[in-house]
Amino acid sequence: MIYGDRNLGVIVQNITGRQGTFHTELMNAYAREVGGRGVVAGVAPGKGGREVHGVPVYNTVREALREHDATASVVFVPASAACDSVMEAAHAGIDLAVVITEHIPVHDVMKALAYAKLHDCTVIGPNCPGLLSPGECKLGIMPAHLATRGNVGVVSRSGTLTYEVVDELTRAGIGQSTVVGIGGDPVIGQTFVDALARFEDDPQTKAVVVIGEVGGNLEEEGVRSTDLPVVTYIAGVSAPPEKRMGHAGAIIEGGEGDARSKVRRLSALGIPVASRPSEIPGLIREVL
Amino acid sequence: MKLLEYEAKRVFSGYGIAVPKGVLIRAPEEVAAHLPELGDGVVLKAQVDVGGRGKAGGVLMADKATAAGTARELFSREIKGVPVGEILVEERLTIEHEYYVSIAIDRSSRQPVVLFADAGGVEIENKALADESAVRKVVVSPLLRDIPPFLMRELLGGAPKELSPVINALYHAFQEKDAMLAEINPLVTTPRGVYAADAKLIVDDNALARQGIAVNRDLSEREREAEKHGFSYVELDGTIGVIGNGAGLTMSTLDLIEYYNGRAANFLDVGGGADQERVMHAVRLVASMPEVAVIVVNLLGGITRCDEVAKGIIAAGVAPTVIVRMAGTNEEEGRRLLAECGYRMLESMDLAVKAAMEVAP
Repeated sequence: MIYGDRNLGVIVQNITGRQGTFHTELMNAYAREVGGRGVVAGVAPGKGGREVHGVPVYNTVREALREHDATASVVFVPASAACDSVMEAAHAGIDLAVVITEHIPVHDVMKALAYAKLHDCTVIGPNCPGLLSPGECKLGIMPAHLATRGNVGVVSRSGTLTYEVVDELTRAGIGQSTVVGIGGDPVIGQTFVDALARFEDDPQTKAVVVIGEVGGNLEEEGVRSTDLPVVTYIAGVSAPPEKRMGHAGAIIEGGEGDARSKVRRLSALGIPVASRPSEIPGLIREVL
Repeated sequence: MKLLEYEAKRVFSGYGIAVPKGVLIRAPEEVAAHLPELGDGVVLKAQVDVGGRGKAGGVLMADKATAAGTARELFSREIKGVPVGEILVEERLTIEHEYYVSIAIDRSSRQPVVLFADAGGVEIENKALADESAVRKVVVSPLLRDIPPFLMRELLGGAPKELSPVINALYHAFQEKDAMLAEINPLVTTPRGVYAADAKLIVDDNALARQGIAVNRDLSEREREAEKHGFSYVELDGTIGVIGNGAGLTMSTLDLIEYYNGRAANFLDVGGGADQERVMHAVRLVASMPEVAVIVVNLLGGITRCDEVAKGIIAAGVAPTVIVRMAGTNEEEGRRLLAECGYRMLESMDLAVKAAMEVAP
């Protein structure tokens, strides 16, 4: 697994919001199932002293960390304040912030990431489903029942498409070491390069599925950076240019970042590229 | 959202960047009244959002005698299919040299990137592709308010120092206006100083509200309607309607349709927590496109309630065939509800798309 194991202590920022409350319960249900620590505290300014599904709530990250041993945070804070929350977490000493929030202005994201870096805080997302290491820990909103423990890593810019691929892998009897959604925004904390470097250092992971989409060229950059066997899938071969396909980062701009040229360049590197999700398990078997 | 040239120039001018004297006209007869202030030579520029506007005939030169006729000619044109509703009439500058400056977002370093070239004009992008050394580039920490002098020197190389305050002002505009792109091409030196002869500004769609922009002009009417419901929606030109949850899965469904040689009519991501009401609106919206013969609904996720989705589809009651693939909670109840009303629910996205192809090959 990468980023953390069952001993990881987690806080949830905006734990009193609808999403924060709902997913705290799901994360802790998973922690109970695998014998992990899960969410140990929540943060919501002005709501300190409450409890959410038995989890104590604090006004600030600093207060929460004074009472609890936690190194990771899952951020469910609305877009207008999400980056402030990431900086608060980094400043208070959180090592890993997973930002679920979408629609954050990109200039805010750039600033928050630069600030987090100054405090050695790793950021996953924003606009991501988080991560799941089957049998170890879950940070975020991924449906845990689709996954099964194994030795294939999955890294993706997408949410539900990741679940689709995980479901295909599990049905084919191929387990996963860690599934990480790095987010659909143009600027994100952990990129394919970073996640693949972690997978490379992880003895459990023997191969990785890279799920990309239109926009940018970070899939190629990631694949070039690793020695691990990799299988890729790129969504959006039918996407028209200059149209934002749901994700803020999924856009073919100035003739760059279209899926066909990504597929062409990845194929030229000798990397297997699935033309639909259902082909992925077969391709993974070939590289394992 | 892309701003038009005259809007971008207005913004840049607010940051102290000099722009040519100019007026916006909406009819050819308006031009005459402005000629005394603009001087003898003028440039007429169609305010249309298309790339390669100059080459496509959207920029014309004129003088006092020909301005009205030239304006009439330009208003009658379509630039790459876009009719001309507004023309920016500007004084003609005495250009000594053209430069290129552009500030964008570098996904790889997660920072603003400033690009500069000693040559500007229409061909710069092609030249840059052919000769990478023609364009210098620096990334700037988003925590800094100004481009530091050492980076500015690296950027400018031998170009005149008087460009540097203009580039720094452009960087301020880029930051404060939530720009995805801020570009001046060409940036020109004249006997009167440095001018932005053209201007491009794209504002982050996620920041439109705080920039005071109420309507995203880049979206069609149906796309705007979809946005009100919280959907991401893109119109395409096929016959198979698509509704998915999550951008990646929805794109993947579109791709699968193409893989089986079909043509998708749209992209619609209903977003998280698709309940009865949202699903109903989504199905009706897609069914409102006259070309749509069949709709594929592909929903996956831990918290999608299949019974809610089924009720939404049934409540929409639309004419095109609806084929459903979904996985989540209450799957059996959802399947039963759909079957009772004659809808098909299939086990995988491959099967759902194949079934749709039988209806609309």
